Amino acid sequence: MITEASTENVIEVENLVTHYGDTQILNGINFSVKRGEIMVIMGGSGSGKSTLLRYLLGLNTPTSGCIKLLGKDITQMSTNEMHDMRKNMGVAFQGGALFGSMTVGENIQLPLCEHTRLDENTMRIMSRMKLEVVNLAGFEDLMPSQLSGGMIKRAALARAIIMDPKLLFFDEPSAGLDPVVAAELDELILRLRDAMNMTIVVVTHELDSAFKIADRITVLDQGDILMCGTVDEVRNSDNERIHNLLNRKPKTEVVDVDAYLQRLTGHGV
Amino acid sequence: MKYPVSQHGRFSVISLTGEVDLSCSPQAREQILKCLKQGKNLLIDLSQVAYIDSSGVASLVEGFQTARKQKLDFALVGVSKAAMQVLSLARLDTVFTIYDSLDDCE
Amino acid sequence: MKNIFTQLGKKTVDVIEELGYVFMLFYEAVGWLLLGKFRHQSVRLRHVFHETVQIGVQAVPIAIILCFSVGMMLAIQGLETLERYGAQSQVVTGIALSVTREFSALIIGILVAGRSGSSITARIGTMTESQEIDALQVIGIQPVRYLAAPLLVAMIIVMPSLTIIGDLMGMLGGAIYTSYELNMTVATYMERSFAVIDVYDVMQGLMKSIVFAIIIVLVSISNGFQVSGGAEGVGKATTRSVVLSVSFIVIADMIFTFFLTRI
Repeated sequence: MITEASTENVIEVENLVTHYGDTQILNGINFSVKRGEIMVIMGGSGSGKSTLLRYLLGLNTPTSGCIKLLGKDITQMSTNEMHDMRKNMGVAFQGGALFGSMTVGENIQLPLCEHTRLDENTMRIMSRMKLEVVNLAGFEDLMPSQLSGGMIKRAALARAIIMDPKLLFFDEPSAGLDPVVAAELDELILRLRDAMNMTIVVVTHELDSAFKIADRITVLDQGDILMCGTVDEVRNSDNERIHNLLNRKPKTEVVDVDAYLQRLTGHGV
Repeated sequence: MKYPVSQHGRFSVISLTGEVDLSCSPQAREQILKCLKQGKNLLIDLSQVAYIDSSGVASLVEGFQTARKQKLDFALVGVSKAAMQVLSLARLDTVFTIYDSLDDCE
Repeated sequence: MKNIFTQLGKKTVDVIEELGYVFMLFYEAVGWLLLGKFRHQSVRLRHVFHETVQIGVQAVPIAIILCFSVGMMLAIQGLETLERYGAQSQVVTGIALSVTREFSALIIGILVAGRSGSSITARIGTMTESQEIDALQVIGIQPVRYLAAPLLVAMIIVMPSLTIIGDLMGMLGGAIYTSYELNMTVATYMERSFAVIDVYDVMQGLMKSIVFAIIIVLVSISNGFQVSGGAEGVGKATTRSVVLSVSFIVIADMIFTFFLTRI
């Protein structure tokens, strides 16, 4: 199944240009993800990786370019079409974004309540099964505020996969977690892909985690794609910026004297 | 979608087919619970299933629990590799009674 | 000089932008209420009920105390002023009309703006900050439908109801003080009050309270959705929301009164 489908692109981004106010954040980005692939988007802070994720999720409208999910351009979609598309997408946000007014179980069942007319029993069993998958069995009656950071991420993951989505997006799975819990989450992501043949996009700045789970890695820097390739290709790249990122060197820029003085004084020379 | 029920020894067999997803699983669930209500020992034939999602698995779980309460036998037959992976994700492969083929059931 | 105009221009654009945003919000909320069923996203009655209890029922005790005090205050001032013309008995008419037409709706409006407007902004602002609004959207739930529409309905039910309670309490406050001062039983006072007011007076208060309800919901929700900058941002938005709601309520009240008393 994997071999037959792996040539098909389920996510395609073409010439994506986006602005925040007057500032251009992404400068015409092209990339694609194949079915069943785990794509890791990496980059330092301010590289535009979180922005890219927001556009992939259809939360913002780009200045130009197109974003195709499962073959359909989401930038041209009507509200109803987008609503249907969302049934195929699961998202685990960085801070979990569980709804504070609901129990963990209600949080996980919410997508089912909104999109399906399943029996209540079925929904409850489904949500408990997902809690088993993420190792949170028995926590469904707790409120999100009673969970630890790692548990919140796992609960968020359970909510993201409740509809068995074809596309799973995960924002910073290991940020703020201790190494053991982070490793467990990585393991979980791999298991999900293998069992459900999900296509998974992970945004992270954690190198270890990226190298462990990725099929391919896209490295973003200041709104451009530096490179996109397999783990080995990225490791062996001779691009200086990627080297800096891998070896955690602070970036050193060549100083343009005039521009620098102008920045400091606020006057042209 | 109506799933056919046949007889195999002391078991009733429900054969699930095609894609058991959000749109079909309610019917599967109904059929399973109806047979159990009639006090039948059940086999669920999954050999013709191309894809089963968690709502389908949830229906199987509910059926299994109901069967155990009523002291009826409940087993899965011909679980494909893909379906087995979905089951094993929630460690359900160790919970269900699973037979390779109908001939293995006494 | 050029700087001032640039700033002024920017501010104007900002204000117009925000007004546009608020009107879109209203339009969308009403749209979801009317058409939600056809788009398989109907507004849940359970949410409306929950909000009604939160905004309304729990505000009843404080609403009673405030309106009672205002009624009594009006009686004290009214008797003091009218005594100069020897027309103390007119205090009944004065209180009955001013409470039903004006004070009850205004006091309730300010109370609800302070009590619920701030908590709505804080709640939605926190949700915006923690990406819960994004999560709703990603799940396929329109935040306006899910959060704003139930609030709008709840508020439009709650405000007039509280205003009616306020009407009664205001008059009762007046009655208790006046009966003590003028040797009149509370029952007679109330009877005379009810004789003075007619449906139009009460309606005037109720219409105002509905307008106030819409103002509070729109201002508090739009401020909540636009929060940025962490916990501090939520705090700022909350303050802004209350100040704006109360200001708009008082200004709208003035405009309303101007038109209603001249027709």
